[in-house]
Amino acid sequence: MRSTRRLALGASILASLAIAGTAGGGAIVTAQDQPTVVVGSDAFYESVLAAEIYAQALEAEGYPVDRAGLAIGARPARLAAFESGQINLMPEYIGFGLEFFTRGTDASEEIAAIETSGNAEADAQSLQSVFDALDYNATVLGVSAGQDTNAAVVRPDTAEEFGLSAMSDLAAVQDELRFGLPPECEANAPCRGALEDAYGITWPPAQLSALPACGAEIAGALEGNAIDVAWLCSTQPIIAQNGWIVLADDLETQPPGNLAPVISNELLDQIDGGADSVAAILDPISAQLTTDVLTELGVRIAVDQEDPEDVAAEFLAGLSE
Amino acid sequence: MEQMIAFLTDPANWQDQAGIPNRLIEHLTISLLAVACASAIALALGFYIGHTGKLQLLGINLANIGRAVPSYAVMVMLLPVMLGLAPVLGYDPQIGLRFLPIFLAMLFLAVPPILVATYAGIQQVDRDLTESSRGMGMTERQILTRVELPLASAVIVGGFRVALLQVIATATIGAFLAGGGLGRYIVDGIALRDNGMLYAGVLLVAGLAIGTDVLLSWLQRRLTPRGVRLATESSPTTAELA
Repeated sequence: MRSTRRLALGASILASLAIAGTAGGGAIVTAQDQPTVVVGSDAFYESVLAAEIYAQALEAEGYPVDRAGLAIGARPARLAAFESGQINLMPEYIGFGLEFFTRGTDASEEIAAIETSGNAEADAQSLQSVFDALDYNATVLGVSAGQDTNAAVVRPDTAEEFGLSAMSDLAAVQDELRFGLPPECEANAPCRGALEDAYGITWPPAQLSALPACGAEIAGALEGNAIDVAWLCSTQPIIAQNGWIVLADDLETQPPGNLAPVISNELLDQIDGGADSVAAILDPISAQLTTDVLTELGVRIAVDQEDPEDVAAEFLAGLSE
Repeated sequence: MEQMIAFLTDPANWQDQAGIPNRLIEHLTISLLAVACASAIALALGFYIGHTGKLQLLGINLANIGRAVPSYAVMVMLLPVMLGLAPVLGYDPQIGLRFLPIFLAMLFLAVPPILVATYAGIQQVDRDLTESSRGMGMTERQILTRVELPLASAVIVGGFRVALLQVIATATIGAFLAGGGLGRYIVDGIALRDNGMLYAGVLLVAGLAIGTDVLLSWLQRRLTPRGVRLATESSPTTAELA
């Protein structure tokens, strides 16, 4: 009896050693083959989700992935991390990223002359040419099918009281409205530039609350009647859920908000096949990220409080079926 | 560094709502208000626990729980509650957004150090002293106010120092919820990638915290009865209580 038990124990130890050996061996081989991808994203759910989708897709192909930069902050903070090499892959909203560089105060004439076109593919190429002109060492991969742009959103009672249906209706009643805008709006052309130059809102608005972009706080503040006009993401599920009114961007100030992975050239140099190998993994996924899909996945994270990691995993599993 | 000096020396940054004087006042207002309200709670509870020796376990645990909960989480969790209560209690929802969550989070942060300092300060008063006071015919109230409180005052002020230092440093997070104060420079500095603004904010918060602490340490020395000053060298210091 005792001897059989000892035999069984020995066999199980041997078996587990064998399993550990193969698993460990496999991991070591990939670690040697591929450089570590460090993903970063903006602090709000959709950007985190996109970064998580990229991360898991690359992991499935054997790339080691570090999530150190997830939810690092708004574009200026994220770009600072990207430029210093702390992250080397990030989702970017193409039109907004392009405007950030072309409408920035220190943009050269050549770069400032580049216009957003309203077409995501063309804007992705423009962004790439901006990167090349600036020696920015970044590559823009394929853009997503769907988009998420920024929108001024009001409650139905505010819309009725002040007769608001488009953003150009705001200027006449601006002093009576309490605005909720992200703190980075001030240096952001499609935000402050659109409000101030196109729609005639004095800067800063008389009643301004600075709240994190596209987050639960700014939505909560609108819902709780602490602000009247909230600068939200157009795919933010709470808009439809609460029957809020999205003010029409009648002067077409908002660029296309299609998502694309932006990857550092230093990382690409270490990968066999460079940009093509990564594009072969990520482009088919971006093609499936339609506006409906982005909204639907957003509901699961922002409303149902599911983990972005799980939502990304299920989305990718659905693609491979 | 140059950017920071440029920010600090720009006259435009010393006026209006977003100017340094106004942000400083906002920061001090919320910090002092939170510590004042926390004191009312913590002193009352601390006197009771210290004088009677009852509810000690509750006091210690309350203080420890308070110290373990991160202020940012408290603030974000309170936001929907405070916004939801606005129509019920009839206050302006803007207060529920910009003031109450951060104020209450700072209140919870400030209670534990003052509470612990108060009851520890009163408890370390020599039992022989309180017994003989009682023997002299002093009432319980007289024992507390004339014997225990003067002897514990230095330790209690030490608790204030810890509380105010923590609150001034932590009140910066209010800027995430549209709050004012010096935290605005830090949050906006990061958002706008304006390093001058960011470092100026960090310097101002640190300067305010250190300045307040120096002021209170002077007050702490002044408040100690002269006769006790020599004797209290063995009493717990601020560092030990923190």
